[in-house]
Amino acid sequence: MGAFPSTRRRRTRGLLAVTCGVAAIAITAAACGSSGSSSPTAAATGGTPVAGGTATYALPPSTVPNYIFPFDSSTYFSVVNAEDFQYLLYRPLYWFGNGASPTLNPKLSAADAPVYNGNNVTITMKGWKWSNGTPVSAQNVVFWIHMMQAVASTDWGAFVPGGFPTNVSNVKATSATTLTMTMNKAYNQTWFTSNELSQITPMPEAWDRTASGPSHCTTTVSDCAAVYSYLDSQSKQLSSWAGSPIWSIVDGPWQLKSFNSDGNSTFVPNKAYSGPVKAKLAEFQEVPFTTETAEYNVLQAGSHGGNQIDVGYLPTTDAPPTKAPNIIGTNPVSGYTLSPLFSWSINYFPLNYQSTTGNGPIIKQLYFRQALQYLMNQAAVISGPLKGYGYPTVGPVGSFPATPYLSPTGKQGDPWPYNPTKAKDLLSSNGWKVVPGGTTTCTDPAKCGAGIKQGQALSFTLPYATGTNWIAQEMTQLQSNAAGAGIKLSLAPKPFNQVTALAAGNCVVAHISCNWDMGNWGGGWTFVPDYYPSGETLFLSGSGANSGGYTNAKNDSLINQTLTNNSTGPLFSWQDYLAQQLPVVWQPNGVYQLTEIVNKLGGVIPQSTTLNINPEEWFFTKS
Amino acid sequence: MIGFLIRRILQAAVVVLIVTVIVFILLRAIPGNIAVAILGPAAYRNPAALAAFNAQYGFDKPWYSQYLLWLGHLLQGNLGFSFTLDQSVSSLLGQRLPKTIILVGISTIVALIIAVPVGLLQAVRRNKPVDYTFTGLSFLFYAAPTFFVGTVLILVFSVKLGWFGPEAPQGGIVNDFTDWRDLTLPVVTLALVTIALFSRYMRSSVLDNISEDYVRTARAKGASRQRVLWRHVMRNSLIPIATLLGLSIPGIFAGALITESVFNYPGMGYLFFQSAQKQDYPVLLGFIVVVAIATVVGSLLADVAYAVLDPRVRYA
Repeated sequence: MGAFPSTRRRRTRGLLAVTCGVAAIAITAAACGSSGSSSPTAAATGGTPVAGGTATYALPPSTVPNYIFPFDSSTYFSVVNAEDFQYLLYRPLYWFGNGASPTLNPKLSAADAPVYNGNNVTITMKGWKWSNGTPVSAQNVVFWIHMMQAVASTDWGAFVPGGFPTNVSNVKATSATTLTMTMNKAYNQTWFTSNELSQITPMPEAWDRTASGPSHCTTTVSDCAAVYSYLDSQSKQLSSWAGSPIWSIVDGPWQLKSFNSDGNSTFVPNKAYSGPVKAKLAEFQEVPFTTETAEYNVLQAGSHGGNQIDVGYLPTTDAPPTKAPNIIGTNPVSGYTLSPLFSWSINYFPLNYQSTTGNGPIIKQLYFRQALQYLMNQAAVISGPLKGYGYPTVGPVGSFPATPYLSPTGKQGDPWPYNPTKAKDLLSSNGWKVVPGGTTTCTDPAKCGAGIKQGQALSFTLPYATGTNWIAQEMTQLQSNAAGAGIKLSLAPKPFNQVTALAAGNCVVAHISCNWDMGNWGGGWTFVPDYYPSGETLFLSGSGANSGGYTNAKNDSLINQTLTNNSTGPLFSWQDYLAQQLPVVWQPNGVYQLTEIVNKLGGVIPQSTTLNINPEEWFFTKS
Repeated sequence: MIGFLIRRILQAAVVVLIVTVIVFILLRAIPGNIAVAILGPAAYRNPAALAAFNAQYGFDKPWYSQYLLWLGHLLQGNLGFSFTLDQSVSSLLGQRLPKTIILVGISTIVALIIAVPVGLLQAVRRNKPVDYTFTGLSFLFYAAPTFFVGTVLILVFSVKLGWFGPEAPQGGIVNDFTDWRDLTLPVVTLALVTIALFSRYMRSSVLDNISEDYVRTARAKGASRQRVLWRHVMRNSLIPIATLLGLSIPGIFAGALITESVFNYPGMGYLFFQSAQKQDYPVLLGFIVVVAIATVVGSLLADVAYAVLDPRVRYA
């Protein structure tokens, strides 16, 4: 299973790695500027915690929950549906997020850590309860897996052909608390837990029904399509969510008190929640916003406005510059604490090895990719357009937050620091006549590489997604840097959807046009809900999300080793190899959100890099 | 008059039909893949899901087949289903249209109430300080970008002074009437621009009429200046305003994207913007149908208003 590119509102991977989109409307709050200062540690730590109160959370701009059934098809697979909404009510079997670390959190998981024995895996439930008093049982997990087996290929947004659940058999609940399944081979246990079992959300027995009455999806896979159809139709009746006999059975820390289709939600604590962290707030509200500017207006108004936000966000354009992402400058919003949220991700843009523009043979040359990467000045983008709120992408594994997955080499930082001299030398030594400010052409086809013609120019079209200021600035900077080496990049700003439709899928696998060289949708890949950063979806030959059609036998072999070997050695070897092979152009990973937290609210920090929110940990304080 | 109305209504139906054909073709010509736009790039991992989506919604058929299918549903009152907002288009329009009509409608009425006397005053006091002042203000507000006006109003009256809310009323339309403090700034933002426009037209129209023979005749007959202004000049000067109002009707239905965005008010304009970004074609088409109907109705109403305001106009 893998991750996919997306804007902030998309759930998995490749978030645009920036705060709040909708910049296409070009609304700025340039005139805004009350002042105040605070530090992350000041957030509500100075007062005495008190129970109760209502915390208001600003949803990302232009996004509202529109699906409550925690079995999201691609249409509904978004952060706002899952992490911001469904997870408050229905908990995944395994919870990922230990503070800022995107690793398994055994305490918050409904089952003990899985036990592997060769090809077999055993899951033991903790005996938590649904809000109707029935236990969260092994059968509830089987119910989910059966539904996946029945409809996942078309209706499960994280489905990957050949992945879960097609790689397991003999799934059975041996008791009310124990489940066993057989994998088609012995996988890397961390990978299987983090990328396969991580998809499961137990479903209560009461959901095993159709309009005509109870069904038997839990025991009979062939019954599941009808059950899915019924639950899907119920989920599309937005006005009936609150108080629904189906959706009111929850195992998460919250229950839905009210919801309207504009996106206003109110949650109250689930008093039957069995997990270790019970809600302290009396209510938790989510409020929608059309744009980040509208949200910022309300944030600035503070208590002057009728609807004060307790947890919101600052537009990147208004962010105080910083020298390091974890050091924050003066917060422009008084009474709030500014805390940058970074997602567990990498950022890159693909090169199309299958391009039919005539540039495919050039892209296949490692020296060309190295030259292009030397012209990507990640440090300047981070300190400039990103105002310091970013990390370099050092390879196929994220460099932030600190995880056991990043190799020692990766920890050393950007392996391709900006170096235009090296870029030009690489081209010159491989048969190209470099014309700074002009057009570099191939003068020695034998050295340029197979398929490259005499006189062929280094000229490429680079569509990029509009709506993210720093990406636009980064592209302009890269264009300028490339021009210095005689590489012509014709930038083409386009709507996000157009860029992803063009460049986010493997054109041969997806049977779409290959008539493109490069494409930058602005994000790369966020490792949610497949938290183990293996490369089988992104970089394995023939994978649907291997956008550019990169193929490399050694890379494939190394990836396959990461899937079956329990140690991190193969993962390190693979990422170090691929970081040098440059299958894509690595670009900085920008801040996901500049979170603003009202000072009287505690428990919000640290924020989860897996993008979960945990309002059950939040509490108000009195001074 | 009745014959005229019947003819115009029939013409309107043809116009709306042609508009839908053109829009349908243009929407299909937008680059990109509808299924990927809706399902997200993740769907590339799963060609079966893409194929299922295309088959389910008829995107694997030629555009004319898709159009006829859509038209058939439209004639049955079914505007389709929003892929991205997970609601029927009728339901979405039902939620957003009243909010937009309230916001834009109130601002238009406010603008009219203020602009007509202001324009009249400017014409009467032509080239006097009061005329220069209102002319300057009109140019200022007409030239200023709406988002700038809205943001400044929020900063001054909400953030600094705390008199009004920084966002428009949230929730149902009932709140629009009860939360007047929240509705004030968006209405003022829209009204300022409209006042600037209407008052200029009104001033110009009054100046044209004030030098007409019938004014001199009325004055010669002994009618007071006030009576001539309010009973004769005013009525004739409102004719161009009636045209403007007629042309404003589509705007009242189409919404005000920037104002809605700045004031967090999810109306028709914002719905259209969202849907266009996500290639949510059923919503775009439903929106176009509503606005096209509003346009032809607005034009028709303007024609009828001519006849009411100007006895010389008679439609055969």
